[in-house]
Amino acid sequence: MNWNFDVLPDFIFNGLSLGAIYGTVALALVLIFKATTLINFATGELAMLGAFLVYVLHMEQGIWLWLSMLLAMLLSAGLGVLIERSLTRPFDPEDHLPVVLITLGLFLIINAVAGDIWNYQVRILSNPFGKFPDWVPSVGGDRFVEVLGSRLKYQSIGIWVTLALALFILGLILNKTKAGLAFRAVSSNVESARLVGVHTGRTLGFGWAIASAFGTLGAVLVAPQLGGVNPNMMATILIYALAGAALGGLDSLGGAVLGGILVGLIQAVLVTWGGVVVFGQLYMSILQLAAAFLIILIVLLFRPAGLFGTRRVERV
Amino acid sequence: MVVPEHRVSRLSAFGIAALGAALIVIPFLSSTTGLRQTSQIIVSVLAVLGVNIATGYGGMISLGHGVFVGVGAFATGYYVSDLSLPWLVAIVLGAATAGVFGALAGLPALRIRGIHLALVTLGLAIVFRPLSKRFPSITGGVSGRSIEARFDAPGWWPGDSRMASSVYRYLFCVLIVLLALWATWNVVNSRFGRSMRALRDNPTAAAVYGVDLISARVTTFALSAALAGLCGALQVVLVPFVSQDKFPAQESLIIYASAVVGGLGTIWGSVLGVLARTVVGKLGEVAAEFDGLGPVGEFFSLLDDSAFVFGFGLILLTFLFPRGLAGIRRRGGITQ
Repeated sequence: MNWNFDVLPDFIFNGLSLGAIYGTVALALVLIFKATTLINFATGELAMLGAFLVYVLHMEQGIWLWLSMLLAMLLSAGLGVLIERSLTRPFDPEDHLPVVLITLGLFLIINAVAGDIWNYQVRILSNPFGKFPDWVPSVGGDRFVEVLGSRLKYQSIGIWVTLALALFILGLILNKTKAGLAFRAVSSNVESARLVGVHTGRTLGFGWAIASAFGTLGAVLVAPQLGGVNPNMMATILIYALAGAALGGLDSLGGAVLGGILVGLIQAVLVTWGGVVVFGQLYMSILQLAAAFLIILIVLLFRPAGLFGTRRVERV
Repeated sequence: MVVPEHRVSRLSAFGIAALGAALIVIPFLSSTTGLRQTSQIIVSVLAVLGVNIATGYGGMISLGHGVFVGVGAFATGYYVSDLSLPWLVAIVLGAATAGVFGALAGLPALRIRGIHLALVTLGLAIVFRPLSKRFPSITGGVSGRSIEARFDAPGWWPGDSRMASSVYRYLFCVLIVLLALWATWNVVNSRFGRSMRALRDNPTAAAVYGVDLISARVTTFALSAALAGLCGALQVVLVPFVSQDKFPAQESLIIYASAVVGGLGTIWGSVLGVLARTVVGKLGEVAAEFDGLGPVGEFFSLLDDSAFVFGFGLILLTFLFPRGLAGIRRRGGITQ
């Protein structure tokens, strides 16, 4: 056994940045679960569609990448509202089966439509954090800085800052706006919220909107790690995000982010680095997938509420 | 909810007669390829029936039955080629292997319920493909493997042309599926079937009345997985080739969706679900021929994609008939 401690920071950095992405997608799952106790199985595909919107706007139309991301997030949010209004609102929120079927149908449709339009080849999407911008003083290279003798990629830093910013904005929306207050009321108790005059349908639409926007953000951030965008890009990411959401507690927003980060760390440190230590070589994807599946299984078996699952909304 | 099961309505009788007539006529009308495709459709009833047992009768959502189809197919291929077992033994063992996997996969269902179980089984469905690539000696890895053994007609079978063999395989599959439907009918109407449904409707009450929760749930899941495994085994009978890319997560979702579209908790619902999937898919293929209509034509060309059509049909049917096709005559739309 060869304890490669010198490469450990590499794995930790990598795990933290992947974990942040899983946390973002997990947040998209939890935002909908919290309000409706439903798992939106189309989360991954909606996010993939958002990433393709960025692809069209930025790579094909030549719009500035960050503006494309913003536009794609807005469009995804609109699509989320549309789906909530037209496909899920007609059903009794207490009866889960129909809405599960709707989201499964959406999963199939969105995947097939994306496959039809863009086929299944991986298409390169610009990395928002490829190189340090010019105004940053050079510290090591133009793509990384040296920390603890390891390379901390600009991409990782960028992902962390973006996620922190997005969480801050989400916190402001949920805690300082009327719509956020309504959302918290509905997720705590639909019936009571309705009694005090909250328009529950509109509020759920609001939840779907934020969730879709977050999913898109996650998909755009993960695309460079997958070599680009393709219609099946989110299948495995969805498993990691589900694992993160289950670990953090399906109804805890902060838990989803922490759970996602933990899954990323477990994946990078326990599985990948552990694999290097034990087997002397990289045993990537399959062990990681199996680990994610085991996390879901073990958490749901022994602690279905997850680590932070509570009935209250937490400040994120 | 309780519907007298003993009386077959005139519509059902007509439907059964029409299906029976179609099953007899089909071999006379189709080519070997067409017959093989028809057989594959008929065989897929078994997987849907499996989901129906777990979800419709047992109340345990399974979004991962494609996994058991895969296990059944891989296992049968292994038994018949590597262990050189006779086909019949290999098929039975293949289904049994899937049943054992199902019993293991059913263990979480002892504690995990509802949407959480959906999550776990979906996880299983997504993990299966990359996992099976890791065992190339059985699964053929990324590209799959050919099974050398052929399921050919025995000596007493009249004719030895390719068509005669195809008809033999077709009839074999029809026979097995009919037997499985009959056996399932008996199981769900037996004492065990009643305890299964009691567990679905009210676990606590069922336990009070002496139903052993653990063994009933595990048996239900094993049984339902074995049926899916039988589907996989017969797929190998029809096409002696196994490959992981036949079992993506979408396949599991479509199997589940077929069960729901047909109607959970009814045996005929499984047949109807597969019929609906096939008819909708065919309609889509026909509609896809209408090209050259500009953006409308673009839409029609999408209809060639069965996943798209099925997803679309799934949403439509959920709106129109939330109880599935088998439930149309029982109750109306979503308003009540």
